[in-house]
Amino acid sequence: MIEPLRISFEVACSPDHAFETWTERATAWWPPEHTVSHQRGAEIVFEPGTGGRIYERTPQGEEIEWGEIMRWDPPRVLSYRWHIATDPANATQVEIVFRELPDSKTRVDIEHGGWDRLGEMGQAWRDANHAGWDGVLPSYSQAARS
Amino acid sequence: MKTKRRIADPFDALGNQYRRDIVELLARKPRSVQEIADHLPISRPAVSRHLSVLNRAGLVSDEQIGARRLYRLDEPGAEAARRYLAQVWGNVGVRFKIFAENTKPRKR
Repeated sequence: MIEPLRISFEVACSPDHAFETWTERATAWWPPEHTVSHQRGAEIVFEPGTGGRIYERTPQGEEIEWGEIMRWDPPRVLSYRWHIATDPANATQVEIVFRELPDSKTRVDIEHGGWDRLGEMGQAWRDANHAGWDGVLPSYSQAARS
Repeated sequence: MKTKRRIADPFDALGNQYRRDIVELLARKPRSVQEIADHLPISRPAVSRHLSVLNRAGLVSDEQIGARRLYRLDEPGAEAARRYLAQVWGNVGVRFKIFAENTKPRKR
């Protein structure tokens, strides 16, 4: 099996607020350059509940599917099938776990897996798996502060 | 697409949104120019020009299979794509964190 991509960080808010921010306010923080339409004003929608659609609504009203919610367990677990900019048949899986920490903090663990079904790119992904994840967030955090 | 003499910098090559999109598309499976163009709001000639840049950067190679010419990520390119995806998640995480920490819960 191909190891999932994993990323973890802490956020200074409650799991409730973290879950709500992820699912209800993605439009405000999702990087606009990582939408399909690349348009400012594109809205990102997570329909609440298992089976809910995840999609981007362009300013022109077009809806572009990004995935489907597989597990909706607020404020602890959110998982979804993810096929932004690819065929639904090539979907991977994203799971996000929000864990309450002391001092009103939350640990966010993101796991992006399901690469096995993508076939021939598998080996390269496996080989490259250990590079890349460590330190990604700290460097971005620093960039954001400076 | 055979010559790799004029090497482009992979970092520069990935500085264009459509080329990043193409790398993401090819990370899933090899595709023809038409198949790439079907996923992007740009023309086939534009896709070909982007593929040429990605090829010079050592990220993408091509192969004739029957009547079809398929483009695929080179091995180092696959690593680049993976690193790119890691950066996307890093970017997503940081933006999420900053936003969540600077907003108040709506309810209660």
